[in-house]
Amino acid sequence: MIAAATKTNPVPNTSHKVVLPFYIFAALSFLASVILMIFSTTAFTQHYFNPHVLAITHVMALGWGTMIILGASHQLVPVLIEGKLFSNALASISFALAAVGIPLLVYSFFVFDMGLPARCGGILINAAILSYIINLAVSISKSRNENVHAVFVVTAACWLLATAMAGLLLIYNFEYPLLSGNSLSYLPLHAHLGIIGWFLLLIIGVGSRLIPLFLISKYNNTKLLWAIYLLINIGILAFIGLFLYFPITFFYLLPVIFVLTGVLLFGYYCYQSYKKRIRKQVDEQMKISILSVLMTVLPLLMLIIIIGFTLAVSNNAGLVMTYGFMIFFGWITAIILGMTFKTLPFIVWNKVYHKRSGLGQTPNPKELFSSTVFRGMAIAYLAGFVLFAAGILLSNLLVLKTASMFLLIAAVLYNLNVFKIIVHQPAAK
Amino acid sequence: MNIITNNNIKCTIAIVVLESVVDPEIGLNVVDLGLIYQVDFDEPSRKIYVSMTLTTQFCPMGESIVNGVTQALQAAFPDDEVNIELTFDPPWNHERISEEGQQFLNE
Repeated sequence: MIAAATKTNPVPNTSHKVVLPFYIFAALSFLASVILMIFSTTAFTQHYFNPHVLAITHVMALGWGTMIILGASHQLVPVLIEGKLFSNALASISFALAAVGIPLLVYSFFVFDMGLPARCGGILINAAILSYIINLAVSISKSRNENVHAVFVVTAACWLLATAMAGLLLIYNFEYPLLSGNSLSYLPLHAHLGIIGWFLLLIIGVGSRLIPLFLISKYNNTKLLWAIYLLINIGILAFIGLFLYFPITFFYLLPVIFVLTGVLLFGYYCYQSYKKRIRKQVDEQMKISILSVLMTVLPLLMLIIIIGFTLAVSNNAGLVMTYGFMIFFGWITAIILGMTFKTLPFIVWNKVYHKRSGLGQTPNPKELFSSTVFRGMAIAYLAGFVLFAAGILLSNLLVLKTASMFLLIAAVLYNLNVFKIIVHQPAAK
Repeated sequence: MNIITNNNIKCTIAIVVLESVVDPEIGLNVVDLGLIYQVDFDEPSRKIYVSMTLTTQFCPMGESIVNGVTQALQAAFPDDEVNIELTFDPPWNHERISEEGQQFLNE
């Protein structure tokens, strides 16, 4: 047999060894956060500045949302920045630092000890994010092309670092008066840097690349994406300025309008991609991802209601809690539940079947997980989400407990499918 | 289907062989997807030349697809040398999808 030769090599993928630990950590974090919720349902009828709520929020924000996004973004770097990832080792270091830092931080919140474990956790998380940014920045500088998606991702990573640094400052502020106010008063700033700066920008940057790609859409509108980018960043900067120098509740509507406009334009971008798609059949995973785009609007509308309520009445703790829940368990969780099964099966398929490609029948990546389990997970998740949000608003423990059981079923089914994919082996001949 | 060939019978066989190589994400074979630009056989040197593309330059499944094309041809023509040229000039666009491919995607 004569050896084959390829003149131009396709861009190599990021190694599965780098990416899979992020997915595993995230899946277990989702399960852990729901278990914590079951044991802490009463905390969701109280003020949001509550040790258990803080712990669950950070498991969801860091262990679940951030870890899976970091994993997926390491895998998707070649697609997003049109170049290969600079260092697999740096990506693994980033994982190791975060994997130690996040449990330390969550433990500290759960027992409300802002001493050594919280500080170590915070420092490790900051170091993990810094490693990620260095890796991303060098990868982009070596890539041949510049594009709007890469700018979204880098900016989002910078906002993530700003969020983590602000968080670390708040931890130290518990013992040393570094800031003019107490740490609680800075919580909205810390939270929104992360929610809008990190999650929203990153999800739009990645989503605007992947949604048309998966739908095989003819739609492309870079100008619109730049407009969205500007609107959201202006919104964040306006919020920071108002929060620090002009904290009048009514004026917070201004950044909300900027961000809401950006989100609605992104919704329009997704709609146009969907309308102009060549692939007519839309799978369940894409449907739940598209649903999450609609779910982005919910917390923003909630925020407008909260601002209205804050102007009228003083006690809006339940609304703020619902707002936070809608972000982490609604919008972010929905997009992850969908996108996990659009990315993870391909990573594992590439690992297992890469060398067998073209040499006979191989399973479709979709066959690496159970679609029945996926459907069960989606139903349990939607029921749990709606009921839990209602439970917080009604301050009803029975509804909260029932809802958390639905969410537990969703988390268990999600983990079952994730581990089914990860341990997949080719069928013996 | 719009594939340039040098009208060698082996080209026809090669295209049939390539219909078994599927893009795992889309589920459509590389011929109907329009990824194959050219298939040539050079009998004297016993070389197969394939010029192909990917739906996007940084397709996450790119390595597997190119690997699949190479291995399928090598298995079908074990005595020939397979040369794959991956090109993005011209870039792939949806108009390259064959009628059969369009039907598959519309299902």
